Amino acid sequence: MMQHRYVGPEEPVEVNLTKQGDAWTHDGHRLELHGERLKITLADGTVHLAHAAKTGDVWWVHLNGHTFRWERMEPGATSSGHDGGLAAPMPGKVLEVLVDVGQSVTAGDALMVLEAMKMEHRIVATSGGVVTAVHFQANDQVAQGAALLSIEESN
Amino acid sequence: MSINVLVANRGEIACRVLRACKEAGIGTVAVCAPNDEGSLFTELADRVVVLQGDTIATTYLDQAQIIEAARSTGATAVHPGFGFLSERADFARAVSEAGLIWIGPSPEAIEKMGDKMTARQTMRAAGVPVIPGEEVEETDETDALQALREAANRVGYPLLLKASSGGGGKGMRAVHDPAEFEQAALGARREAVAAFGDGRIYIERLLSGSKHVEIQVLADSHGRTIHLGERECSVQRRHQKVFEEAPGPTMTPALREAMGSAAVAAAQAVDYVGAGTVEFLLAPTGEFFFLEMNTRIQVEHPVTELVTGVDIVREQLRIAKGEPMACGDLMIRGHAIEVRLYAEDAANGFLPSIGPLLVFRPPEGPGLRLDTGVREGDEVTPNYDPMLAKLIVWAPSREEALQKMRRALDEFVVLGTTTNIRFLRELCDVAEVVSGNTTTTTIDDVWPHGWTPQVDETLLSASLLAASAAESLGLNRQSTRGASGDLSDGLNPFQTISRRFP
Repeated sequence: MMQHRYVGPEEPVEVNLTKQGDAWTHDGHRLELHGERLKITLADGTVHLAHAAKTGDVWWVHLNGHTFRWERMEPGATSSGHDGGLAAPMPGKVLEVLVDVGQSVTAGDALMVLEAMKMEHRIVATSGGVVTAVHFQANDQVAQGAALLSIEESN
Repeated sequence: MSINVLVANRGEIACRVLRACKEAGIGTVAVCAPNDEGSLFTELADRVVVLQGDTIATTYLDQAQIIEAARSTGATAVHPGFGFLSERADFARAVSEAGLIWIGPSPEAIEKMGDKMTARQTMRAAGVPVIPGEEVEETDETDALQALREAANRVGYPLLLKASSGGGGKGMRAVHDPAEFEQAALGARREAVAAFGDGRIYIERLLSGSKHVEIQVLADSHGRTIHLGERECSVQRRHQKVFEEAPGPTMTPALREAMGSAAVAAAQAVDYVGAGTVEFLLAPTGEFFFLEMNTRIQVEHPVTELVTGVDIVREQLRIAKGEPMACGDLMIRGHAIEVRLYAEDAANGFLPSIGPLLVFRPPEGPGLRLDTGVREGDEVTPNYDPMLAKLIVWAPSREEALQKMRRALDEFVVLGTTTNIRFLRELCDVAEVVSGNTTTTTIDDVWPHGWTPQVDETLLSASLLAASAAESLGLNRQSTRGASGDLSDGLNPFQTISRRFP
């Protein structure tokens, strides 16, 4: 039995993999490696070919018209859930900062306007709280993943 | 007359034009920015000139460098594709003045149609119906805001703010409430200034429940102006089309004749030569209104090609050479649908995404066409438009075309970069899309709080098996590029894709 862990929306997702001969099983599904092809027999008996590719810690899987993205968590790691920081979704330029430090915001409030790929994108609060820091000003360039603002969540 | 064509564009449309030239036996030159060296389109040209510069403004928008590239390679004509310099009258003029053939309409026609406010006035004069609204000429921000607010009150809410130099949804805002007006107007102006260097805005009444229907026109220099029927492109996200079809699912022969005649009249009003598209809003009442004319080839031209059998780019080349166009009278056969594949996160406000195309495996089979500028192993960067490909299907009926599109989207595998494939696939099952009763607000109506994928729990669980087994089997030897996609180490980028399964 082999255990794998992935980042989930809230809790980490745990997978207990069993090897039976040349096949791997999980949750009633069965996988065999045919040459370089991942052949999956679902619990309902239907057979599908999966495509998988890895970049960084992320496995991308295509199966029957659906694409899944699973970020691996190495054993012992804690959930990388967000800590109230709001990250730049892609590289771009800050056009406008719409909030000040100390300001209360509610989920959905626009916080910042970014320009990327020649379009404007709004950064909105994902939860209510108080703005504790604004890390960039108008006209600053930001890298993908850069923390733009910090918000202390209120309950 | 023989010509050599320089394609002043990149990506998918550059590939389309370069291939058409090859089929016509015409020599080709590609120009590319340094960060596009090795892109698919550069491999389809006879010669490649690398433009010197590190921004779009100093490469694909640098008129002098592009004209010099034509001169130095012996090109005799310039095809602008769409976007970039395609609707820049000053570039069309500079190309002609350099003794080169401009594959497009005259600079005067581009100017009259390119400035949307002038176009509205020209169309009114030609008897083509325009959307009720007002043009505001003030350029000073404070004066313009004041004049816009007054005009908005006369036009009435809900309304649309549009940039006079606009296109592609940039500089456009819908305003439903006067309280939102100032922020929307400032945002539209700012986007328009950034994208077009012109902050002038006009106002149109927002005609809700309308369809976006456009007519393809072709005109040669022998006095013939024809239309190739309609395309319906109502399904839009953020004012950008994602699903286009021909013929229009609710079109009638009488309406096609009326709209076709209006489109031909619009083209003739500006002495149009070449391929162009006249866009209309079709109201639920059956009335139609001129939106704008795109004085260039359009992204969605393939659906018209598939139902009419006309190669529009090939006709552009004939017309540019001064020959009469080869296509005969309009004949529409079967049904074609196009979807635009974007590198974007449809579940997160359609935000553009970037990353490596670890796997890029398009579907195959009868009735499919793929227009793309990328292939497996390429990197999606934030430098350019995030459109990856156009997938186009043809079938004898609309129902069969939709079935074919569903099958094709299910087969399309893209790994390493988030795409809108699943969104497009779910779109094919939306009741309005199935019935053909789509409007420009369909996406917002169906998903008022944004789209979230319908997750199949069985496949989700099986995907965890695939990821975990692939990891345990050691199929995860890291690519030499890592997640950053950094090629500067000089290693072969295709090492990445040698580790994909299958």
